This record gives sequence, structure tokens and C-alpha cells, in this order.
Amino acid sequence: MTGKFHSLRIAACMMGTLIAVPALAGTAAESISVDNPYVRIVPPGMTNTGAFMAIKNADGKDHKLVKAESSASKVTELHTHTNEGGVMKMRPVKDIEIKAKGEAVLKPGSLHVMLIGLKQELKVGDNVAITLTFEDGSSKKVEVPARMIQTEMKMEMKQEMMHDHKNMH
Amino acid sequence: MKKILIGIIVALTLLLFWVLIVPQTADKHALSEPSESRGGDFTLQSAHGPVALHDFKGKVVLLYFGYTSCPDICPTSLGFTSQALATLDKTELDKVQMLFVTVDPARDTLDKLKSYTGYFHPSIMGLSGTPEEIAKAAKLYGVGYARQDTGSAGGYVVDHSAYTYVIAPDGNLLKTLDHGAPPAQVVETIRAALKKG
Repeated sequence: MTGKFHSLRIAACMMGTLIAVPALAGTAAESISVDNPYVRIVPPGMTNTGAFMAIKNADGKDHKLVKAESSASKVTELHTHTNEGGVMKMRPVKDIEIKAKGEAVLKPGSLHVMLIGLKQELKVGDNVAITLTFEDGSSKKVEVPARMIQTEMKMEMKQEMMHDHKNMH
Repeated sequence: MKKILIGIIVALTLLLFWVLIVPQTADKHALSEPSESRGGDFTLQSAHGPVALHDFKGKVVLLYFGYTSCPDICPTSLGFTSQALATLDKTELDKVQMLFVTVDPARDTLDKLKSYTGYFHPSIMGLSGTPEEIAKAAKLYGVGYARQDTGSAGGYVVDHSAYTYVIAPDGNLLKTLDHGAPPAQVVETIRAALKKG
């Protein structure tokens, strides 16, 4: 009886430590910031689309994005693309690693959040709320604006130009 | 002793070969393997009846193989190309035809293809056909595509070559543009091809 109680106490202590340690260190979500998120507006009748963003990790240790959820679509998954001899292959991934002091860039032709079964057609000016969940269970809600492909390209070019400009000084 | 060692090495090599090669061929529904792109004439169906490549003799043809449920790769390619088409003046545009051939005829109806391509640019034409007709056209251009069940809730995906084939006004394959070729490069390629005509 006492033995059982003892092991229960140990288990409780361990559980407590497991919960307390990450709390002391701060959650993954607290060290994560999201830059330039957008969701792509798809042609009429299409119900799947991709959301893209740069996920930055200010923490000294690696974090992982393990789940994305959105009320805008029936299902939300994490996907990537690989290019094998010119053949583009899209596959679901279990998680997306965000390196310590680094970033994971979700962009066309690469990693993305896949919104499957959009509940309504996206238009310019719409925002889609996406909740990102990290390896410790902490999460972050991101408001993601909808963009046309043509606008995406202009924004990217503008960013590249700004980047070049910065490099010149 | 040496013989046993050699035996083990041979067995391990065979095992490695089996691990690397066998599962790939086993889980792949290859409809067409990527190969060398030679070009050539083909006939497929559009929403307005049959269309052959030779119908566009005298024009520069941009040829792309994809499918409408493709959530990222095809919209990127078509987005870039449509941006390029929008840059051309009317006389140039009259001498250019973009063709989008589906590699997913089971899901892509001609009407679906029409509204999909029209979203990017009104001049883009969507083409389909029987699986055999599509495979024949794909083979001419060395396009690889394969249906894959990835376990995603979005249904099956079709892996496919994401090049844009640039066909000169004489019907010969002139150039192959990589996926994500920026609009400026597409414009430059179209203008160079127009000069050949």
C-alpha cells in the first residue's frame, strides 16, 4: 500500500517537473514569431490552397511546428515539395523544424501549410486564422491575409529589392 | 575467412540495393517516366473541340503539363506565365498560345480546365484526352507523372514534371523553362522565339 503510494508520489513529482520545466524556460510559442504570412487565393472551384510564412525562432534551442489548424478549411496539414529530376512531389510531413536562432521558410514549391476543403472562396481582403502548435503543446494564432498570385510575386520582388538595397549599404 | 567476409559484403550490397531500389518501384503508380524531351505533334481535346499542336503553326506555343487540384506548383507556373503574357503587347500576344495539358483526366473535366486556366489568363487553353492520348503527348516532351496516394485528406496527388516547353512557330521544341522561371525570363524567351518565326 505504502509502496504504491510512494510510486504515485514519484510519478506526481515527475509529472510536475515535466510541466514546470518548460514553463520556467518559456514555451516554444513564446520564442516564435511569424513574418509575412499569406494564403494564396485559388481559381474558382478549387478548394485546396497553401499558406506561406517565415517562422522565426528567437530561442537558443530548436523547436518544431507539429500541427496547423484553421476553421477556414475542413482539414489543415503540413506539406512539403521535393524536386526529383524536374518532377515536383508534394508530401505531407510530420513536423517542420525551426532551428535555434533560425527560421523555417514556408514558400511556394517548398514547405507550406495546406488548407484542404476551404469552406468558402477566398477574396482579397480576407484573413484566415491559422493556429500553429509546437512540440511542447504551446500554440500561436496567426492572422493570415489572402493574396492573389500576382500580388505575391510583386511583394516578393519588392522584398528582394529591399534586401538588395540593404546589402548595398 | 576471406571467403566469408566477401560473402557478407556481397550480401550487404544486395540488401542495400534491394532497400534502395525495390520499395520505390513497388509503391509508385508510374503513368509516365521522365525522359528526354524531343517534342512533336499531338492531338487532344479542349472545351471547344479537338486541338492539335500543328493548329498553332506560326505561333509560339508554351506547353505545360499539370492538374487543377495541384495546390502550389501549377498555380505558381501559371501565375508566372500569365504575368509574362500580360507584359506582351497585343500583336505579340496574338502570336502566342499557352496550352495546359492535364495529367489528371479522371478529375479534370474540360469545363473545370477552362475555368481554371481562364483565371490565370483568358488566352490559356486547357487540354485533356484519354489516359493513353495524354501519355503519348507527355512522352514526346519527356514529362514524367505518377499518381500518388500520400495519405493526405486532400485525396491523391499527381507528381509531375513542372517544366514549361517553348515551341517555336515552326512546331519544333525550342527551349525548356524550369519551374519558377520568373516572368521576365518567360517574356524574353517568348520574344526570342517570335523572332525565329
